[in-house]
Formats: sequence, C-alpha cells, structure tokens
Amino acid sequence: MIAAMPAPLPAPTFDAAAAYPEVNDLRKALDAADWPAVRAVFADRDPAFHTLLVREAGDHAASAAFLHRVYDDDTTDRLAGTLHGTHLICDGWRIRSSYRAQHVSRSQFEQFHEHLRRAEQVLIDVTARYPDDAAAWTQRITIARGLQLGQNEARRRYDRLAQQHPHHAPAQAALLQQLCPKWSGDWDRAFAFARECAQAAPAGAPNAVLVAEAHLERWLDFDTDRERTAYVRSAPVVDEVMQAGQRSVLHPDFVDRPGWVWVRSTFALMFSLTEQWPAAASQFTALGNLGTEYPWAYVDDAEGFTKYRAKAYAKGGQS
Amino acid sequence: MIQHLDVDGVPTLLAPTGGPMRAGLTFRVGTADETLSRAGITHLIEHLALAPLGLADYHVNGVTAPAFTMFHTQGSEADIAAFLTAVCGHLADLPVARLDVEKDILRTEWSSRGAAAIDDIPLWRHGARDFGLSSYPEWGLGALTADHLREWAARSFTRENAVLWIAGERVPAGLRLALPSGVRQPVPAVSSALPQTPAYFVSGARAVVLDSVVRRSTAATVFSGVLERELYRSLRQESGLSYTTTTGYEPRGDGYATLRALADALAEKQDAVLGGFVDVLAKLRVGRIEQADLDATVAKRQDVLGTAEVDAARLPGYALNVLTGEPNLSIDEHRAELKAVSLADLHQVAGEVTSSALLMVPGGLRADWAGFVAAPTHSSDTVDGTTYAAKQGAGALRIGVDGVTYLGTDGPLTVRYVDCSAMLAWPDGARQLIGADAIVLHVEPTMFNLHPAALPVIDAQVPADRHIAMPARSPDAIPQPSAAEQPAATPADRPWWEIAAIVVSGVAVLVVGAVSLLLTYVMVAAGTEPGEEWFWGVIVAAWLLTVILALPIVLLWRRRRG
Repeated sequence: MIAAMPAPLPAPTFDAAAAYPEVNDLRKALDAADWPAVRAVFADRDPAFHTLLVREAGDHAASAAFLHRVYDDDTTDRLAGTLHGTHLICDGWRIRSSYRAQHVSRSQFEQFHEHLRRAEQVLIDVTARYPDDAAAWTQRITIARGLQLGQNEARRRYDRLAQQHPHHAPAQAALLQQLCPKWSGDWDRAFAFARECAQAAPAGAPNAVLVAEAHLERWLDFDTDRERTAYVRSAPVVDEVMQAGQRSVLHPDFVDRPGWVWVRSTFALMFSLTEQWPAAASQFTALGNLGTEYPWAYVDDAEGFTKYRAKAYAKGGQS
Repeated sequence: MIQHLDVDGVPTLLAPTGGPMRAGLTFRVGTADETLSRAGITHLIEHLALAPLGLADYHVNGVTAPAFTMFHTQGSEADIAAFLTAVCGHLADLPVARLDVEKDILRTEWSSRGAAAIDDIPLWRHGARDFGLSSYPEWGLGALTADHLREWAARSFTRENAVLWIAGERVPAGLRLALPSGVRQPVPAVSSALPQTPAYFVSGARAVVLDSVVRRSTAATVFSGVLERELYRSLRQESGLSYTTTTGYEPRGDGYATLRALADALAEKQDAVLGGFVDVLAKLRVGRIEQADLDATVAKRQDVLGTAEVDAARLPGYALNVLTGEPNLSIDEHRAELKAVSLADLHQVAGEVTSSALLMVPGGLRADWAGFVAAPTHSSDTVDGTTYAAKQGAGALRIGVDGVTYLGTDGPLTVRYVDCSAMLAWPDGARQLIGADAIVLHVEPTMFNLHPAALPVIDAQVPADRHIAMPARSPDAIPQPSAAEQPAATPADRPWWEIAAIVVSGVAVLVVGAVSLLLTYVMVAAGTEPGEEWFWGVIVAAWLLTVILALPIVLLWRRRRG
C-alpha cells in the first residue's frame, strides 16, 4: 500500500510583518520617512503591541538618520524619543553581534556601549517625561543589561514599569535575561521571577511563557547534550512546562494578541524538547508557518522549527 | 526687625530674642583664603584666640569655615561682653606662647575626626586651592611661626573685616572690640578642577551625593526642599532603597550657592540607588515638578518666617551677607519672594543643578551612561625632561625643568612646579607633589632608577614656601621593590654560546653513546674471547665519555631552570 504523499508544509518565516500586517505599514512609513504615517501606525495601540512595533522600528536598519532627525526636531516627543533610543540600542546590539562576551572585540564593545549610552540618555528623558511608557522602560531594562548597570538597577527599572503595567510580558522577558547567569544573575532568581510573573497574571494571559523561557535558558546553558536531554526529560521540568502551557496557550481564555507568535513559538519549542508532542503539535498548528527569531535562534532557526514541527506532527498528530 | 549699629567701628546687628542672650563676631576669612602649604593658619588663630579663656566648652565657640570665621557665645550680658572683649584682645595680640600646644591639639582634632567621603567633594570640584582646601589636612601647621600668624591676623581679623551680631535687648555694657584697622577682604575667586560638567567621581562611600552650584535665589532654596521630598518619596517610600535622603543649600558668598543632595544605600543596592537618583534628577530637569511639593516647601518656609525668633535665628546668615556684600531681605520681602516662586522657576534651577552637577558615586559604579563625564584622575599633558624607569612594572618618572610627570599605564600624572600647591617631603627622600588641580604625584626614590641629582632638581624648583616637612617614616613604611618579582631568565635571554654548547654536546652524546651501545651489544652477543678482556675497558671508557659529554647539557639545562 502506498501512503498518500502529505502536502509539503510551508517554510517558516520569522518576519513579524507576516504575523502583523501593521509592521508592513510601519516599514513603508519609515522607508518613506513619513513621520505622520509612522505616528498613525502607533496610534491607539495597546502596550504589548506598542512595544512590539517600537522594537520593529528599532530593527529597521535604514531608518537611523530619519529617526534621529525626527527626534532632533522635538526632543520632548514621546514616540520620537522612544524610536530614536530603541534604534540606537538595536544598532549597538548589531555591532556587538550575538556572540557571547568573550568573542566580541574591544572596539566592538566600545561602540556597543557608546550606542547604549546615547540611547540611555534619550530614554532617561522619555521615562522622566512619561513614566508610564512601557516601551521606553522595556528598552531601558535591556540597556541596563548591556551596560552592566547591575542586577538591582535592572530590577528597579522593571519595578517602575510594573507600577503602571504589572503584566508587560516583553519587559518581563527582558528582565529574565538579566537574571540568568550569563548576565551575572542566578537560576534561583530567574525562576522565582518567571514563576512570579506567571502566577500574578490572570489565567489565559501570555505571561506563563516566562516559565517556559526560563527552562529554555536553563536547558541551553548546560555544557553537554547528555545534560540537556536529562534536564528536559526530568519530570518536574516536563510538568512545569505543561502547567505553564495550561495557564497560557492551552487555556481556553488565551487569545492571539500581538506578541502571540513569540509566546506560541516558545511553547512549541519547549513542548518539543520535553517531548510533549500533542501539545507541541497544537502550537505548530496555531503558528502555521509563523515564528520569531527568539527562541528559534537557539535551535538553528528555520531548520529547528522545521525539524520539531515534523516531529510534533508525526508523534503528536496534526490537528 | 534687625537693627544696624556700630561698636568700636565694627558693624553690629541687633535682634530681639525671647531666649537667652547670644552674640557672635564673624570675620570674612576662612580656609578658602589660605594656601595648601599654609593650610590651618586661620583655624590655629581661632584656637589661640580662645585658648586663654579656659572655658570647658570653648571649642564650640569657634568655627572656621571656607569663607568665614566666627566666635560666638551665649549667656549673661557680662559673660558675652567678657568673652568677645577677650577674643578681640587675643586676636590683636596673639598668645603665641601656646603655639605648639595648640598645633598638637589641631593635629589630634584632624586625626580624630571621622573622615567622611563627602569631605572629598570640594577637592574634586575646586582642586588643591581656595574652596577645595577644606578637603585637605592642615598641612601648614608644622611650618607656621608666630610671625606668620601675626601677619595673617593683621590682614584678616580687623574691624573692617568683622561683623558683630547680638540676639538680645542691647549691646552689652563694657563690650570692647579692640581690633586693628584693616580692609574688608573680598570672597576669594572660586577655582574649578572640572573641565566639563555634569561630572562624576567614584568614592568608597555607600551613598550617592550630588554637588551643584546655582545662582543664589529664593527659588533655589525652595528647589532644595522639593528635591529632598522627591528623593524621599522615590528612594525611600516607594522603593525602600535608601534610609537617609537629604539636601542642603549653602550660599558661597559670591552670588552663588552650593546645593547638595545625598541618598545613602545598602551595600547590595547601590546600583539601584544611583539609577533612582539619576531618574529623580531627570524628572525635575524635564520639568515634571509636583505643585504639591512646591506648596509644601513654601508653606514650611513661611512657617519659619512667622516665628517670633526668626530675626534672632537668621543673624549669623545675615552677618555673612553684610560681610560679603550680598543683599539682605526683610521678612516681608522674603515672604513675597517665597510666594512668587513658580514651577517654571524651579525648572530653571533644576537646569542649573544638572548642568553644574558633580556626582559622587559608590565604588565600582560609573555615571557616564547617564551623561556625567568622569572627573579627571589623570593629567592631559606631560612635561619634557629625563625619564627614569620604575624598578618594577611599566611606569616611569620624568623630571624636567618645568615639572614632573609620572608615566603610568592608565595615563600620565603631571605636576608643574608653578602649579604645585604643596610638596610633602620625607627625610628618606620621598616626595609627594600636589598640583593645583589636585593631581597627586608620588616620588619614591626606592622605586625608580633615579639619578642622584634628580631629587635636588625637584626640591630646588618647587618654591621653598610650598615644601611641607613630614615626619620620618618607619622603615617598613618605605616601599621596596619586591625580590620575588625579579624577572626570570627566559629561553630568549640565553646567550648564543649556550645554545651552541647544548647542540654540540647533544650531537657528541648521540654519536659516542651510539658507538658505546653498539660495542656493548657486539661484546655481549659475540661472547668474550680469551685475550679480548681489554676490550671491556674500551667500552667502559666509551660510556664514561658519553656521560662526560652529556654533562654540559645537564648543567646548562639546570642553570636555565634555576
């Protein structure tokens, strides 16, 4: 008997514009150096989407000069400051590249730090004027990490943001990075924070993704494949990833709000690593061909996505 | 109301009080008028003037500050008259017999005072001169003579350079201010050691301190209160990062005032206190100032102005204004000015505070990320001269006709003789040059390959009145190059002949050794025929030769490792 050839699955894309058409509008407005159009894209967005769009604008490499000019025209403008500052951070991080500290050259480091310092001074003003700006505070948490301003300072920035936005997942993810040992944190604090975020948020909210992310970071940090495999197969890890999923992506109240591709991607990967294939398959189905750079960069990007998706569908069934 | 009177040619201020009578005599002279090599002269005169009075609590009756010196007391009319009359008598005719005793007392006072990191701020802002001198020990004491003191007193402690203030009903009967005549001394010009502000420096203290210079104004005094409330709310109430949050405002006497703020920090929270401090300053700088803070601060000041004792309480400050020629406001004018302070005025002060800021940050932290430049810890230039290498490490000392430079790995330290505020000289030859910009340069003769004539050059070039003789150091306080750090010979240092000897010996050992081995093998394998026993002698000789040839290799090798 010849099995029916399954239709080939679409190749994944990590382009945010594929998931959120507004990102395309944003890029067009940036390319056209059309500030009113940029402003229009940001109008009336909820904080999660606002932060996501700010990040996309920062990543739009060609816009450095435009965003700088807009900021210079009115240094008190909230959006202009946030976008200019974020663009400087993204530029700086590009210079640093994604290598770990020991592989970055001295001059790369200096330029990286210089970009972050400039960004920080712009964003200090933005948060001084608009202390409720979630996107600006989120970027300042990232700056604190890059400039190694200290664990308590990063936490203070998060606390300032959380006064206004207690469940802002992008900021929580930024702080979680700081709490990991690779940025002079420790696992106890990282997990405590992730669990705190998951529990504090209402059921069906995306915040339990922090727990999955903490396990992913822990998994990545082991030196050998053996240790990594043992970790993701241990019952407490498997159980906690599932519980986190049930509190968020597997919860009936979960809705695909902006940021959902990152949340589902993280769960898709963690369900796969913990070999909870039906749950993994459900996330791949929801994702279709959409993904985000993080977490897929940890498993060879599109290659990892395709590999785990195939496994999940084979073992967990395509729903 | 404050009455303006005259007592023996000294301008006199009189204000009523419901409490005990108080009075003070304030002179326009202080540490900022001194030089580093004469530092302590004003304080020493203050002590000498009070010493013969023999009061148990005499010390609290004298204050030497950067821009003024004050003698004050409290008691009956007769007590006050006797005290101030005696002080003036002693100032006019210093009881120099007590000179050495008082010098010792001052040295003890210095060494027993708690060194607070905040005391370093003047030095970082102004350098080793005028308003920066309050950061330094009273190094001038040792060399001061009775003549130096008389000269300084004749210039500074005169009736024209004094103001008397009295909280009480009248000028005490029998009060005589027998001071010599002189001229009112202007407030010394204020130097800066900061090429750029806002700036920061790192200290060992567990506190963040802001030091700023603002134009003297009622708005600035209110700003100080607003900043304190903002720091308290943000760093203590909301985040629990600090316990103490205070601010202070102090007129400098030249139309400007020093405005300071301090927030202490737990050891493990210092990074967050710095971050929170920066954000508080930013909030005020961008003009997000709370009306409630303005109102509360103004109300508090109005309350003070409403008390019956207000005039008596402000006499010392009022006297300073008279001495420095700055205006004094009436209470009604004060009230009107307070009432007129707006958020826009405070915003303007916030701008002055940030642009002149010198931030002291706890060890291990920086503030460049927040736009503060590092205050100089090195010199921007070097002098020409002869360079002497350090006996250890990469440093070198360059001594020239203009000055001395230490060439260190972090950057140069230069003190030019003309800018040398003082040179500490130890009997063992060590010198410490302190530049006007507060750069400190140590010359330890034991640590450099100095030419014997080098030190006398420095001694001759630094003007003699800036030499400060220091007591002999115990031998273990004199640094010595450590023996353990003598560089070991490396293979590259080995002379060519050693390499050649090792190679030649090695080849010879191999050849002779191989022959010996072969002969031994042949003899053992073939058996010894009668009459061939002599051949064993040859083999033994061959082996001996091998060992002898190998000897140089072993010796050279061991020498290298030793």
